[in-house]
Amino acid sequence: MVRRLRTVVLGLGNPILTDDAVGVRLAGAVKSALGDRPDVTVVEECSVGGLDLLDRLTGYERAIVLDAIRTRGGRPGDCYRFTAAALRDTVNLTNVHDANFATALELGRALGHALPADEDIHVFAVEVADERTFGTELSADLAPRYPACRDLVLAEVGELLGVPLASSP
Amino acid sequence: MARTIKIDPITRLEGHGKIQIFLDDDGAVEDCYFQIPELRGFERFVEGRPIEELPRIVTRICGVCPASHHLASAKAVDACFGGQVAPLALKLRDMYYHAHFIHSHIAHFYALAAPDFVCGPGCDPAQRNILGVVAKVGLAIGGKVIEARSQAQRIQTILGGRSTHPVWCLPGGVSKGLNDGELEEIRPLVANLADFTQFSLRLFREVVLGNPEYVDLILNGPYTLDVHNMGLVDADNAVNFYDGQVRVVDFEGHEICKYAPADYARYVAEHVEPWTYLKFPYLKQRGWQGFKEGRDTSLYTATPLARLNVADRMATPKAQEAYEEMFATLGGKPCKALLAAHWARLVEMVQNAEMLQRYCDDPDITERDYRIVPDRITGEGVGIVEAMRGTLTHHYTCDENGICTSANLIVGTTNNNAAIHMVTRKVAATMIKPGVEPDQGILNLVEMAFRSFDPCFSCATHSLPGRMPLEVALIQGGEVTRTFRRDPS
Repeated sequence: MVRRLRTVVLGLGNPILTDDAVGVRLAGAVKSALGDRPDVTVVEECSVGGLDLLDRLTGYERAIVLDAIRTRGGRPGDCYRFTAAALRDTVNLTNVHDANFATALELGRALGHALPADEDIHVFAVEVADERTFGTELSADLAPRYPACRDLVLAEVGELLGVPLASSP
Repeated sequence: MARTIKIDPITRLEGHGKIQIFLDDDGAVEDCYFQIPELRGFERFVEGRPIEELPRIVTRICGVCPASHHLASAKAVDACFGGQVAPLALKLRDMYYHAHFIHSHIAHFYALAAPDFVCGPGCDPAQRNILGVVAKVGLAIGGKVIEARSQAQRIQTILGGRSTHPVWCLPGGVSKGLNDGELEEIRPLVANLADFTQFSLRLFREVVLGNPEYVDLILNGPYTLDVHNMGLVDADNAVNFYDGQVRVVDFEGHEICKYAPADYARYVAEHVEPWTYLKFPYLKQRGWQGFKEGRDTSLYTATPLARLNVADRMATPKAQEAYEEMFATLGGKPCKALLAAHWARLVEMVQNAEMLQRYCDDPDITERDYRIVPDRITGEGVGIVEAMRGTLTHHYTCDENGICTSANLIVGTTNNNAAIHMVTRKVAATMIKPGVEPDQGILNLVEMAFRSFDPCFSCATHSLPGRMPLEVALIQGGEVTRTFRRDPS
């Protein structure tokens, strides 16, 4: 039997900042669909960044990060997938208050933390329309596209975890 | 299949850090605007909710300083319920907050400030980060930094029950106390943090003060402003982060005013400019005087340096020694050199560690009377704490059923908005001269200016790729003539 990788699923975002909560929602959907899996820890709400992420990732062999994103010309509800390898270019300068994600990972590895390889940090990000207004509902632009987006992410996360995942009815 | 994309850091938080520099016909700086986005709708979001829920909600305003919002909100809510708080809860809240300060200041100093001084302001941006610092000072020091940060976080978790987004404070106190076992776990962490704060001071002396160029940059660069200083002080005018009165001292050292949190609206007002959503607080009794320095200005900064400038002393002995050394080296108090805020952070951390030690030795700290259940609603409250990046004010009103009817917040960075704007303009004017072609170097010099404030512009809580995009546009004769952006690599 193939050994399963110790995996952490992180829902990044602010649960009361309209579309910024999309990663938190997706993590909730993964948790519901997955049920109990001893090799998988789902952190539905992870509102930290930079150096603090080291504590969240240390000891895991794989991470699945669910987040919101804004790109130029992107349509709300577009889903993107990349690994931390795509973030290597950002190992310079810094965040507003902290080291950025890629810098934190490199520092953690240099200091001997047991962290997943860049290729094993899978980021799923959803294009959002409004991440600056306080509110607990998704924006009118994102809400109608969210179910399709959630199903796509569930399917791909399920593939990574070796189990079909579907949203609860 | 979800689309695979190449990450362009500029795209993640589009619109942040847009600086427009207007040049006159000769090419000299005429004006400068620093625009940043602001989160919207918080006041509307909380109206109609039970007022006691607010301390748990406001932690989501900011991913960087949730504890500051939690405590300022708790103080405002205490006041809405009559203001009685269990004395033990005040100690526990203060203890928690000292750990939070260390946790935050470590990140700022080592990840943001140190690269400018350890690697040098002219260092290649690709190396000017905490990795560059560790490459210079050694992996062992990098390990100490991460360990100290985790220990400060652990103390918060033990006290508040959660590592981030505390749900700990309740009207009149806190939801859990500290037991003997927890205290014994905290003691060695505090001892290590005390050593670490002294180590950080030694590192600063060696690396920064040991280099005359850096000292010259701090004292004689374009990073000074003749504006006033704001910060909380206790009854002895010593630095306090959780409680006390707000004191404002001018740039020559004279006290302008000192007020209790409930009176803030008599002393501080907010000016609105058409080119930015972020307001500009000023001293109300002087009136809005525009973006100007000097004796008549109504502007102030609220930073670690401002806190040390307004205080007559630190609250603990080793911090007092560090405070005296700092001002003696910088030519006296108050100090107007904004970059000295980095040193002030280290002095504050010494006080934070000493206060943690003091609480660990307090025989009452593990007692159980950590809450007084309120028996009335008085309907209005103001809570002020010092957030790491400035004086933080929460002001709420509620109806007779305790339902929130209004909320007003003045957050730490907002206090410094005018000063950030002005120093950006000053740096731009230093860098951009008629006949001299500006280059990419302007980005770091501008960054160094606003970095000293440890600004927390937007409260987005995640960070992929996690850095603040910055764009500087030069505008002459109504046309954008040059644009500088931080390169992605």
